[in-house]
Amino acid sequence: MAIPLFIGIDDFVVDFAFTIAAVVFCFLIYYRTREIYRLSKYEGIKYFRESFLFFGFSYAMRFLFGLVLLSRIVFGIKLPREIFAPILILPLGYFSTMGIFYLLYSALRNKLSGKNWLYIGHGLAILLSAVSFATRSHIILLLLQSILLAAVLVIVFASKGRKKVSKTRILYFLISILWLMNLWVAGLRRPFFSEIRVIFDLLSLAVFFTIYHKISKWIR
Amino acid sequence: MSGKKRDRLGVIYDILKIIRAKNNSIKPTPLLRYSNLSSSSFAEYYSELIAKEFVKEITDKKGRKYVTLTDKGFNYIEKYSLILGFIDEFEL
Repeated sequence: MAIPLFIGIDDFVVDFAFTIAAVVFCFLIYYRTREIYRLSKYEGIKYFRESFLFFGFSYAMRFLFGLVLLSRIVFGIKLPREIFAPILILPLGYFSTMGIFYLLYSALRNKLSGKNWLYIGHGLAILLSAVSFATRSHIILLLLQSILLAAVLVIVFASKGRKKVSKTRILYFLISILWLMNLWVAGLRRPFFSEIRVIFDLLSLAVFFTIYHKISKWIR
Repeated sequence: MSGKKRDRLGVIYDILKIIRAKNNSIKPTPLLRYSNLSSSSFAEYYSELIAKEFVKEITDKKGRKYVTLTDKGFNYIEKYSLILGFIDEFEL
């Protein structure tokens, strides 16, 4: 029985345009903070900018991953999903987990003691991508990253001495949550998912633009 | 404004400002005195400044050693408040 088509070439074009814009914003954030880091060698700036580099790669990988899942619908050519999807899910899992981890680590670094956190981050990223590779499922990756993010949120809100969560931290959490939402809709072809995807795309771009705009105020 | 690293940025800024205030030429010993750092701390910062090419040592004809700012050092002084503002804005 044929699968009903709920996604067409228009959705592909929108997704492609969104990916280009998101990747450009991420790489611009990374590039424009280069000098400020070169001068200061401040670790917080290092992890902040590298998180956007990871997010840039993640969004590019997510696009390719979605392309493999929907190749038959979009191009009429069926790319062997069982070969391409696991190959792409490995870097997708690693880059995106590192993006989330570095972003949160750059902001919470001063509260964390010990130097093992970076090893833990890389270890978690490798573990999550390996599990997703083994299960051939980006939904498993989504679940594991959601658990990771929820754990960090609990730690932040449970930490003493912080009465109010700042707008910047809300932006960091939005970037992470919107990434998860974007991962969730990757490859889905159900009714109304195109519209949901566009909403997530626009929200993600708005958050990236806000960060870029804030950066531009400081870097001339 | 918090964290050891943040203080480090401030110390570097202060040392560079001292050199600039002395017409961009000062001997290491008075620089140590003006910086209000212990000898060991100063040696650590001084090596870092040389390694990062914020300052360079020049020796005159009589063999006396002076410290001067490089373009990168001047750039750091200029951008210091921006760096601090950036760190604050993004809570790094």
